[in-house]
Order: sequence, then structure tokens, then C-alpha cells
Amino acid sequence: MSNQIVEKYKKPVRVLHWVHTVSFVLLFLTGLVLFVPGLSGIAQGSITRIIHRLGAIVFIVAPLVYMIMDPSAIGRGLKQAFTWGSEDMGWLKAAPAYYFLNKEGNMPPQGSMNTGQKMWWFITLVFGVIFVITGLIMWFATGAFVQWMVVIHDISFIVAGCMLLLHIYLGVMHPLMNEAWGAITNGNITAEYAKKHHGKWYEEISKAK
Amino acid sequence: MELSRKDFLKLSIPATGSLILGGGMLMNPKLVQAASASSSKMDELALLYDSSKCTGCRACEAACRRANELPPEHKPSDLSATSWTCIKSVELDNDGEKEQVFLKRQCMHCTDAACVRACPNGTLYHNEYGFVAYNRETCTGCGYCTDACPFNVPRLDGNSFMGVNKMSKCTMCTTPGLDRISDGLEPSCVNTCPYGALQYGDRSELITAANQRVQVLKADGKSGANLYGENELNGLHTMYILQDTPEIYGLPDNAKISFATTAWKNVLQPVGWVFGGIIVVALGINYIVARANSNKEAK
Repeated sequence: MSNQIVEKYKKPVRVLHWVHTVSFVLLFLTGLVLFVPGLSGIAQGSITRIIHRLGAIVFIVAPLVYMIMDPSAIGRGLKQAFTWGSEDMGWLKAAPAYYFLNKEGNMPPQGSMNTGQKMWWFITLVFGVIFVITGLIMWFATGAFVQWMVVIHDISFIVAGCMLLLHIYLGVMHPLMNEAWGAITNGNITAEYAKKHHGKWYEEISKAK
Repeated sequence: MELSRKDFLKLSIPATGSLILGGGMLMNPKLVQAASASSSKMDELALLYDSSKCTGCRACEAACRRANELPPEHKPSDLSATSWTCIKSVELDNDGEKEQVFLKRQCMHCTDAACVRACPNGTLYHNEYGFVAYNRETCTGCGYCTDACPFNVPRLDGNSFMGVNKMSKCTMCTTPGLDRISDGLEPSCVNTCPYGALQYGDRSELITAANQRVQVLKADGKSGANLYGENELNGLHTMYILQDTPEIYGLPDNAKISFATTAWKNVLQPVGWVFGGIIVVALGINYIVARANSNKEAK
């Protein structure tokens, strides 16, 4: 029973995740050079801006390709990001004890995404769109209003950048999330982990079988 | 090509760590100093342009190109990365009678300069004379200055589609290697003007002279004559004697620095560092506590 494997993420999702990761990390690092004056030396030849723009193209095109290949994912994805309920409040209350003290306590059973992952997914969608709109304006327009695009782009950078650090940390370092890496690389997690971390989702897929 | 979670950790921690540390150590104090050197003033110098004396001969444009080693261009219609000054024609309406006059466009060298405020890495700064100079080498070509300037002066050269740029503008002839001011000379445009429309010298003396000239023009029937630049943005180092309102010359009547210009360096950059710092520290604490607790349980 404990050795039983369930598929958490299908291959197209994993490919999209990693293509988007590479582009976003490149965008993050090449944007950071403007936030850290000491790093601006790297940017002097504008090489970081070229990488930033190439990264932006991948960042925009990859999800579009995915949506064309699987249009039903659009509705599913939006629904997941915008459906919030009492279980989410329960998760938020139980999260500190869980993530610090390893105490499951009153943690309500979670779906395919837990509340924290949903928050990250929500931020990815909303700020992804804001990044693209403000970034394209900064790329192709000039004028005083472009400064406001820079301000909005950078607020998004601070929010999404901090969340990216949190996401990477939970995925690769947190002691309890020890199967997250496997889920997004080879796609599989153990049934035991699925039950513990995504109880509601595990029940759904078990019934579906 | 199986990369385990542990391998990924081993690879990424030193990589990001060294990047952040390296960035911190590279924080060049000179950049910060340069950005804040604006307050130290010697005898304040300035340039005064009298639009009532200018004939639009464009000798200043040619002299500027020679002195600053800019490529030749015949009658540029606007400032550009390779035209640091240009003569613009303006039509005055003297009670129904049209009159063509001129305005010499160039950097206004503001005391409170939007470009200096917007520049992310101190490339733009006030030099010892109070003029707005820049270090072409450290410019990353972000273009924040070009969007911030209320006078639309700084321009980018290069390829704007790919973003391979450098900013370029008038330095009041203080560009290193081509510096006339340190050699005790006047800016080349002033030196060359055959009609006495350009003066250079002590700023307060120029203001006194300019106000007298404005009175003369007013007495002469130019009721709208005024001195532009005495108080704008805490005082410009390029001042204009105008024969009519600034709007007619295409100048902002109430030149201001947008909050969006100051928001970046004064708010967003510090806030970004605070939030980034908090999250890194919080995650570190979480790691220590959570690992201790999960180890305890494993026993």
C-alpha cells in the first residue's frame, strides 16, 4: 500500500512548469540587476536586457502554446485560482503549526492544490498578466506614463519574486514537502504522501478509478 | 539525466548565495556618493540663452558637434543621441502679427533633476559645477531618464527593439576627455555664438542681467517677456530669456518631477530589499525549526 504510486502532474504540465521556471528565473535575475546597483556592471553592455526580452517571449509564448494544445485547461486553471472556501481559512489557521512544528492538528484535507499553492497559482496568473502588459508597454512605448508601468512592473516583481523564493524553498528544502520535487520532475508521488498532503484530491481520484 | 532534489539543492544554494553576496560586495560606494554629490556647490555657474538675440544661425549646433565629437547632421529637427543641442523655430503672435523666433534646445541641467532621481545606478549625477553629467560606461540603457525628464532631453542611441542602448545628452562641455570647463573655457556653443545670444558665467550675475534684459524687452512691447529657469526645479543651469509665455516655446509652465520618477528609488527599491530580506530570514528560521521538529519525530 505505501509503495503505491499516483501520478500528480502529467507530462505537459511538468514541461510547462520547467519552461516557465527557466524563463521566469532568467527574467528575475536580469531584472534584479536594476534593483542591486552593485550588479549593474553586468548590465552595461545591455546583455541582460537582451536576455530579459528573450525570456519574456518564452514567458508569454509557453502558456499560450499550452492553452492552444489543451483549451479546457483555461477554465480549469481559472476556476482553481478563483475558488476559495472555508477549507482555505482552515488551512491558513493551521499552517504555522504545520510548517514550523510539524503538527498536522486541524489541517483540513486539501485538493490537488493546497491553499498555499493556490495563492501562488493566483499570483502567477494575476501578476503574470500584469508583468506582460506593463512589460510590453515598457518595451514598445516611450513617454512619462511609461514610468508608471515601471512602478507597477516592479511592485509585481517584489510580490512575485518573494513568492518565488518561498515556492523554491518549499519545493526543494522544506522537510515535510519531500515528495514535491518528484511530483514536478517525474510526475509521481506515493499514495501515502497524496493522502497526507492532498486528502481531498486523493479521495476524488480514488473514487474516479 | 536524473537530478535529485538533493543534487538540485547542492547546486543551487552556492550559486544563489554567491550571486547575492557578490552583488552586495559590488555595491559601489562611489555610485552612491556620485548620486548625492548634488548639494556641494562651488560658485554656481550657468548658461543664459536670449531668444530675442538668436537669429537661428545654428553655429552653436556645429560648434557642439565639433567639441563633443558628434557626427555631422544638417539642421536636426529635434534633439537626439547625436544632437545635443538644436535650434527650434517658434512662431510668436504679436497682436495678430506673426514673428518667427528661435529656441535653443539643450539639457537644462536642473538642480532637482528627474533623470538623476530616476537613474537606478548613479550613472547620472551632478558634477562639481552643478551640471548634470553622466558616466557613459556604467549606463545600462534602461531609459528611465528619458521617460522622467520633463524637458525630454536625454535620448537613447542604439537598437531600441533589442534594448541595446546608451543614454546620451549635453554635459555643458564637461564630458571627460572633452572637458572645456575644467580648462577654464566656456561651453563651445557659448564661445561660438556670433550674436551674443549665449552667455556663461556666475549664475546669480546672469539672473540679474537677465531680469534687466526682460525689462528692456517689456518696454519694447514684448509684454510677455520672462526669464525661464530661475526657480524651476530649484533652479536650472540653462536659463532662457523668452519673449512670450513658456507654453508658446513648448516649455512646461510648471515643470515637475512625477511621483513615478521618485517612487522607484525612494520607495520601491528599499521596499524590495526589506521584503526580500524578511522572506530570506523567515525561510531560514523556518528551515531550522521545521528540521529540528521533523528530526525529533523521526527519533
